[in-house]
Amino acid sequence: MKTQIIGCGNRNRMDDAAGALVAERLRRMGIAAEIQDGGAFELIASWERQEHVILIDAVVTGSPGGTIHVWEGTPPRLPRTQQISSHGFGLAEALRLGKALHCLPEHITVYGIEGGEFGVGDNISPEVLAAVTRVADLIAAELRSQDLPPAETDIVQLSGH
Amino acid sequence: MSRAARTIRVETLARVEGEGALHINLIGERVADVKLRIYEPPRFFEAFLRGRHFSEVADITARICGICPIAYQMSAIHAVERALGLRIDPAVRMLRRLFYCGEWIESHALHVYMLHAPDFLGYQDAIAMAKDHPEVAQRALRLKKIGNKLVSLMGGREIHPISAAVGGFYKTPRPEQLQELVEELKWAVDASIATVKFTAGLEFPDFEQDYEFVALRHPDEYPFNEGRLVSNRGLDIDAAEYEDTFLELHVKHSNALHSVVRGRGSYLVGPMARFNLNYSTLSPSAKQVAADVKLKPPVRNPFRSIIVRAVELVFACEEALRIIKEYEPPAEPRVEAPNRAGVGQAITEAPRGILYHRYAIDEKGLIVTAKIVPPTSQNQKRIEDDLREYAGRLAAWPLDEATWKCEQAIRNYDPCISCATHFLKLTVERDDEVQK
Repeated sequence: MKTQIIGCGNRNRMDDAAGALVAERLRRMGIAAEIQDGGAFELIASWERQEHVILIDAVVTGSPGGTIHVWEGTPPRLPRTQQISSHGFGLAEALRLGKALHCLPEHITVYGIEGGEFGVGDNISPEVLAAVTRVADLIAAELRSQDLPPAETDIVQLSGH
Repeated sequence: MSRAARTIRVETLARVEGEGALHINLIGERVADVKLRIYEPPRFFEAFLRGRHFSEVADITARICGICPIAYQMSAIHAVERALGLRIDPAVRMLRRLFYCGEWIESHALHVYMLHAPDFLGYQDAIAMAKDHPEVAQRALRLKKIGNKLVSLMGGREIHPISAAVGGFYKTPRPEQLQELVEELKWAVDASIATVKFTAGLEFPDFEQDYEFVALRHPDEYPFNEGRLVSNRGLDIDAAEYEDTFLELHVKHSNALHSVVRGRGSYLVGPMARFNLNYSTLSPSAKQVAADVKLKPPVRNPFRSIIVRAVELVFACEEALRIIKEYEPPAEPRVEAPNRAGVGQAITEAPRGILYHRYAIDEKGLIVTAKIVPPTSQNQKRIEDDLREYAGRLAAWPLDEATWKCEQAIRNYDPCISCATHFLKLTVERDDEVQK
């Protein structure tokens, strides 16, 4: 099964960077992963015609910082959000919009990392950093369990020329 | 796959940036007070920039906004180039216009379809709209994607573009790379024309105001990067005179400064101002479709700005095609920019209106002072003025409907806090409550 990995996050908004940090960590492990700011349009555009997409994003649910949430399905049933991305369309909206337009991948896994601080800056809470490592390991293990060498995953790299 | 602790209760998916709140005080049908509150920290960046080399300014200021980073880059670069007295290759100048086309396409497609259209069609959000009008949402997605492609090609990457530089670009595209966009852009011209017709068919409240429209004007081009700053009340100035003409006022209730024309008051920047002041330089298809839907300057109903934005979408797609057709790569991607002391100001047309930058640079090329006036803060007082007129008409409406209408009125301006205004916290104090 082809798997695409997308980490969402803003490196300048503290714990919001969690998804991007997971993607960076995966890259260091030799696993291709895309980094996006989590805009719904861009997400929908990049997962077109994919079989399996793994999305990682910071979430706020009221759980302790660093809590890892996992939702799966087509689409995963994320509880309703009250406040979403900076531009009004984030990951949750991408899933809902994708469903409305019948353009979702066959299978979607969402990792949510509970964040605590979302101010301006690049400091990350220690518990979020620990969760970043844990989620990267979980994803790497999942890819291994699919008997697919990571290098053969079909990833589109968007950043850079 | 193993799983750690889970919860099913998500109140918020993270991404917290910008927030708006509105407070309206109504006494009968009289609006006693309107306060639009914005939390946006551009001043942060101004302090940040001090002591940095001018070559870093474009990349730092691009981070101010995720929707219009190119506008920030363009205003910054033009202001620095002016301080340094640089002359730019005409081919680079055209590439900058092309870059701006990409940002307008992205931004306008997003706002017209996903942020503003649901208001007119009676949907809570774009997703609910997409369920009933999938073809509309598909068109929006494809248009936005074309803008993204153009920005990505010109900017080096999709988010936070990095190729624009003082003197030109770090890297310029090859003609064949631009040619690859032609077919999609041709589709986009037609899709944008359809967008104008779609928006013109919406219903608009009967609401006109006597605005001072402020926009750049260039003798031969619909404005992006160059021109004099003009208004329908006789303003005609160079960017260097901006601060003599406009005044920024601190108001207690907002983190964004209110801008006013000295001695006159609020003014309007953005698509309606550009259209009203620059109709003659629109591209042929943009002019034609505007005529087809009977949209003529001056447009004074802010709700109709959605049609104007769609007309600008046609323009941006057509202008991009024209530039690509005529494109010959510059001899050098950029001219050298030696250190030199100076002061430079520039204004460019961000999707939502004029963006002013001023930099003072020392002989080592370091920034001594920086000033940035974003379009949303310039429109802020004007939005309040609109609401002061408009909210009184809604006094008898149920609170939720009145709230929605006020949010729609704010979205007429495509403020860069659209995210926050979608979740606007509205407090309406009525006279009976006030008397308690």
